[in-house]
Amino acid sequence: MFQKIFKIASTASLTSLACVGSAFAVDLEFYFPVAVGGAAATTIEKLTADYVAANPGVNIDAIYAGSYSDAGVKALTAARGGKPPQISVLLSTQMFTLIDEDVITPFDDFVSAEEKESWIGGFYPSFMENSQTGGKTYGIPFQRSTPVLYWNKAAFAEAGLDPEIAPATWDEMVDFGKKLTKKDASGNVSQWGVRIPSAGFPYWLFQGLSTPAGAILANSDGNKTNFNDPKVVEALEYLVDLSAKHGIMQPGSIEWGPTPKAFFEGETAMMWTTTGNLVNVRKNAPFDFGVAMLPAKERRGAPTGGGNFYLFKDSTDEQKDAAVAFVQWITAPEQAAIWSIATGYVAPRPDAWETDAMKAYTKDFPPALIARDQLEFAVAELSTFENGKVTQTLNDALAAAIAGEKTAKDALDQAQATADRILKPYR
Amino acid sequence: MSSKALKLPQTIDKFRSFNFDQSLSTFAAWCLAILWLSPLVYAVWTAFHPSEFETRFDLFAPLTLQNFVQAWNEAPFARYFLNTIILVAGIVAAQFFLCTLAAYAFARFTFPGRNILFTLVLLQLLVMPDILIVQNYQTMRSLGLIDTIAAIGLPYIASGFGIFLLRQTFMTVPKELDEAARVEGCSFLGVLWRVYIPLAKPTYLAYGLVSVSHHWNNFVWPLIITNSVETRPLTVGLSIFAVTDSGIQWSVINAATLMTSGPLLIAFLLFQRQFVQSFVRAGIK
Repeated sequence: MFQKIFKIASTASLTSLACVGSAFAVDLEFYFPVAVGGAAATTIEKLTADYVAANPGVNIDAIYAGSYSDAGVKALTAARGGKPPQISVLLSTQMFTLIDEDVITPFDDFVSAEEKESWIGGFYPSFMENSQTGGKTYGIPFQRSTPVLYWNKAAFAEAGLDPEIAPATWDEMVDFGKKLTKKDASGNVSQWGVRIPSAGFPYWLFQGLSTPAGAILANSDGNKTNFNDPKVVEALEYLVDLSAKHGIMQPGSIEWGPTPKAFFEGETAMMWTTTGNLVNVRKNAPFDFGVAMLPAKERRGAPTGGGNFYLFKDSTDEQKDAAVAFVQWITAPEQAAIWSIATGYVAPRPDAWETDAMKAYTKDFPPALIARDQLEFAVAELSTFENGKVTQTLNDALAAAIAGEKTAKDALDQAQATADRILKPYR
Repeated sequence: MSSKALKLPQTIDKFRSFNFDQSLSTFAAWCLAILWLSPLVYAVWTAFHPSEFETRFDLFAPLTLQNFVQAWNEAPFARYFLNTIILVAGIVAAQFFLCTLAAYAFARFTFPGRNILFTLVLLQLLVMPDILIVQNYQTMRSLGLIDTIAAIGLPYIASGFGIFLLRQTFMTVPKELDEAARVEGCSFLGVLWRVYIPLAKPTYLAYGLVSVSHHWNNFVWPLIITNSVETRPLTVGLSIFAVTDSGIQWSVINAATLMTSGPLLIAFLLFQRQFVQSFVRAGIK
């Protein structure tokens, strides 16, 4: 790890000029995306700087790479262009795509059997579902999230509901929603019961319905989907009925960006969104709010989401060793706790929740525990080979059903047929 | 009686057609202007008010500059401004130089393979730059230029559009002027400098504007090829505010947007008349 390696031809670049002084250290590039506001980038950069300060043999350049999709494009371009980063945080769902492009390598070869047990084995199993395939570990969970239900306690009290109790089942959510939906004299809704954002990528929160219904959307080999399972159809019908039949959710496609705002402004009494919003809601909600697991049908259930660390192939063994050591450090309990508290992401290891910092935080702010407790019921976010195309197929089907253009069954039957065609070469 | 009856509809017709046409196009112009202005007005409104007023209109809402302060502090905008200005100035200067020489050659000289070469230049207009990202990345890597401002600009400086536009302009310059200058003893480059370039000023202005606004706004390529604060332009810096997971803070993002697009907006308002005229003269519509 501390072996001397000489820097290659890129000395002309400004970065290298800036770090000529450490020309004998192992140089690493680390791309990270940010989906939760400016402070998150500062936290990652600070953690990286702390590590570099404590480990003189390694030099890590933490590079902000835009949104998740921008970061994906940047990392893939750099890899195809022959100069990949050594490590990058990218969406957990990109695993199959990255394997297919042959740009990443499993972590297993760079850890001892003991570390494999204690480190890789120490993450929540539901986060590992999206990180391992074919018995190899390609992703290390880092900025992981899961959707939860936020509710406005003031609005619950006003509607005559117990402000401390969130709906636990689908039927309860409809009942509560009907009581919470307020109309003015002319019939316009001034407060909706619930808001489940669906624009752009409806599949993710939809998994918060299809999982409780008892369905799993794709197999763990990433080559078969299960879109037209009767239980998936039932889940979609429930989602559509929230607006169409029960009238407790704004009809049509619902945007993600303004969703927290709508919650703060009292336009909706409940919202489903990621735990990545926890810090934002805590800071900005002008009323008492509660956080609950998503309501159950046959079972409880929700998808996981967010980003993993990936190890890129095209680098020296020294770089890979140094990269793995860094990933081990930044996902260790203390660092995971700092990261989780700063952003609201779910600390991905049980031992991170045992640290003093985390205990103090959850004592002060118990809702942070809900996401962790939900992990027991959580499943992998939809991820397959040709992930972009397959996910888009499902998104289109969901959007068509939400817009009322197709029935839930027709839309999902068509999506399944398309997905079958796309995934055939991978079986 | 009959003459009156004939005359009357005519005047009405004239009156009607004149007014109707005029008012319709004025109305359409207003509609377009309002449509174009509304996001800008919203941006200004939210940027100068606290975030509680993002979705509520209140004429007497308190004004604040806090959003600008917050945006300015969340990213090193001063550095990003400098980078963007260096980048845009560099690209435009290099484009003017290269495109002028190439256009002059294509417009006024005959040499073997001229038409084939010009066709190749035109073909460049058909290729979307996004397709070439990986290839460009490899080229920049072999030049050792990854993460430099030069790498952001290099793929754009041999602009097919610029060459085409300037060639067409140079072709309209009367041959007599060229010949007169030659008789007076001007060299080839002297003719270019003294005759062609001065006559093509409106084209330069129009092309310069298109180029500046394009590169000021370019996002994907700069994001991919740069890694550090010292090289990144404004657009990449701005993207840090566009976060979906924690809900979008419109007031801060709009303050940042106004800051980054401000110089272009002000420049356009100042030079509006010249720009519009040069567009008309250069025939870009």
